[in-house]
Amino acid sequence: MTDHSSLWQSPEMGRKLAKRYASERRFKWAGITAIVLSLSFLAFLVVTMVSNGAGGIDWAFLSSSDSTDPATAGIWGAFKGSLLTMGVTLALSFPMGVLAAVYLEEFAPRNRWIDVVEVSINNLAAVPSIIFGLLGLAVFINAFQLPRSAPLVGGMTLALMTMPVIVIAGRNAIKAVPPSIRDAALAIGASPVQVVFHHVLPLALPGILTGTIIGMARALGETAPLLMIGMRAFVATPPDSVVAPATVLPMQIFLWSDEVDSGFVQNTSAAIIVLLVFLIAMNGIAIYLRNRFEQRW
Amino acid sequence: MSTSFLILIVLGLGLIGWLVARAKAAGMATPGSRELHSLPRYHGTYVALWAIVPALMMLAIWSSVSPRLINSAVIADPAAKSLPAEAIDRDAILSEAAQLARGDIEAGFNPASDALVPAFKKADARFGMMGGALTLVVAFACGAFGFTRLNVGFKARTKVERVTMMVLLVASLMAVLTTFGIVASLIVESGRFFSAISPIDFLFGLHWNPTAEGGPDLGENFGAIPLFWGTIFIGAIIAMIVAIPLGLMSAIYLTQYANARLRTWVKPLLEILAGVPTVVYGYFAALTVAPLVRDLAVKLGMENPSTESALAAGLVMGVMIIPFVSSMADDSIAAVPQAMRDGSLAMGATTSETIRRVLVPAALPGIVAAFMLAISRAIGETMIVVMAAGAAANLSANPFASMTTVTFQIVALLTGDQDFNTPKTMSAFALGLVLFIVTLLLNIVALRVVKRFREAYD
Repeated sequence: MTDHSSLWQSPEMGRKLAKRYASERRFKWAGITAIVLSLSFLAFLVVTMVSNGAGGIDWAFLSSSDSTDPATAGIWGAFKGSLLTMGVTLALSFPMGVLAAVYLEEFAPRNRWIDVVEVSINNLAAVPSIIFGLLGLAVFINAFQLPRSAPLVGGMTLALMTMPVIVIAGRNAIKAVPPSIRDAALAIGASPVQVVFHHVLPLALPGILTGTIIGMARALGETAPLLMIGMRAFVATPPDSVVAPATVLPMQIFLWSDEVDSGFVQNTSAAIIVLLVFLIAMNGIAIYLRNRFEQRW
Repeated sequence: MSTSFLILIVLGLGLIGWLVARAKAAGMATPGSRELHSLPRYHGTYVALWAIVPALMMLAIWSSVSPRLINSAVIADPAAKSLPAEAIDRDAILSEAAQLARGDIEAGFNPASDALVPAFKKADARFGMMGGALTLVVAFACGAFGFTRLNVGFKARTKVERVTMMVLLVASLMAVLTTFGIVASLIVESGRFFSAISPIDFLFGLHWNPTAEGGPDLGENFGAIPLFWGTIFIGAIIAMIVAIPLGLMSAIYLTQYANARLRTWVKPLLEILAGVPTVVYGYFAALTVAPLVRDLAVKLGMENPSTESALAAGLVMGVMIIPFVSSMADDSIAAVPQAMRDGSLAMGATTSETIRRVLVPAALPGIVAAFMLAISRAIGETMIVVMAAGAAANLSANPFASMTTVTFQIVALLTGDQDFNTPKTMSAFALGLVLFIVTLLLNIVALRVVKRFREAYD
């Protein structure tokens, strides 16, 4: 019989153990370093923007439109363009997305056609945004002859991009509603359409809204597809309709970043702060909705 | 009569139809003996649909036909006698006159168009009235037809639900339509490009200079290899060197080491990195990171390094991808059965040994899929490279060199120019097609890997 305890406590074993514990600690520190590095990059970005731009945010900046003079340039025009564009996007993508989610989750027969629909939705969610811009350019502007630089076209392009996000979120929310709700409604004589629109959809709504807000936040920060459809015009007066030439907040940032005049550095950073505040607020609302209304069945 | 006003009237008619039909249905029923098949509001909706849908379809058809009718009416007008016979010139004057008549422009470029304005206004008003009257007649007639069909046993709900199902089906077909639209527009435009420039020159050529004028061999200026290389170098190499270790290690730390409180704070903060708009990253890369990278290049003894570098764009892009890699890796590590982890720990392995020897190998397919999706994200990213990577098509492995990417060139080729029929603008669609196919393949393969991997543990 060998004496295991003496082997366990031998100096050689002690060295081995120490090595293993050291590597354990190194691994853990590597993890902490990764997180700290990522977050400090975020902090660096935010601090840079705030120190460059915080001084530029005042009422004049928020209420005036683009100008060639950095001192009088403001973001109201771009902001209004963003509002109009987001309005079009929401009006198109929300109903379409919710209805498509309802159909796919509740009524669609299991066949090859529906597989094609599902595959294309999942793929659309991963298509680079600039490709949607090419689509908007080729279809909405070249084929349908809609006006360039207009919130209408921008909103339609972004709606195509946002719809898959809403469909995917909507399907997950609808899937989470327990079958017992449907069975109960069917049992007292509701038709399948009534079951969905009177019972399933209201219960799934918080989840759908969360997904919609996240999709809209992404659309609000999007620049590349709008660049394709020409929303980079110099717009000194706020747009007053969805077909008037307009620009959007991220595009204003992009346009100002190209300016040679160093006064625009402050404007660009200030516009970035405004954009980030909006995005954080939207995501905050989404998180609040999820925590407040989401039911665990 | 303007179109939006007409739509409002039609909707108003629909509302009236809804109210009247609902009242009629409610009055038809006698409790006990003659029960309604459907609730009164379904009768109302049935009539409203009849009043609205055909009328709006009519309006859509009319507004696509009427410009042609108006044009032919104007040409038939005595004032149009002096118009040139050439179709192109005539159409230019006609469209100018149309804009003048509607008040879109103040003054015409061509004096001939001024003379046509009264004729245009007359034709416009006449056909506008005709279209409006036609639409209202259709709305009224169809609404009345729907109304006559109502009776106690009428299955209004079934009919309305059938329409609802059709709307649902159409909504879900939108995604297919979008995919089809993307594929069709990319293929049509690229087809026109490839009829001018051979695909072999495009895919394997080493020289990219689309702004060069003409020349005997046009294909020589459209070699896209430098763009593909720039895209891969920035998106798939530099960005991944940043994103994969940081993303993977933060996922591992958050799932295996961190306590619940730290996790609830750090995870949303990391998610913010993914939510920052790319134009903000682009500006940050150009304003802050690029000068730092340039200083570094100077310290390393490079002469005259450019401010726009592949490294600056790639670094920032990598940071943008971190949360994406992290959350995908998180999911696939969480999918490894707890028993495997417990077994390894029970055998005396330390936590890090368990992670490296058991969890990561078991989760490897999912992690690889995460990398593929991350690469597909990175190569499709536009704003960061537009603002920080540069326009010069360099075929170089030097990270401090200015490099261009597929997405940068699409933007550069399509902005500013109004003319869509030059090989230069059409080449943007060819680049888009290549980008679309590559990202699609990466996604399909990645999703398949994830699916098979899930099945292995379920």
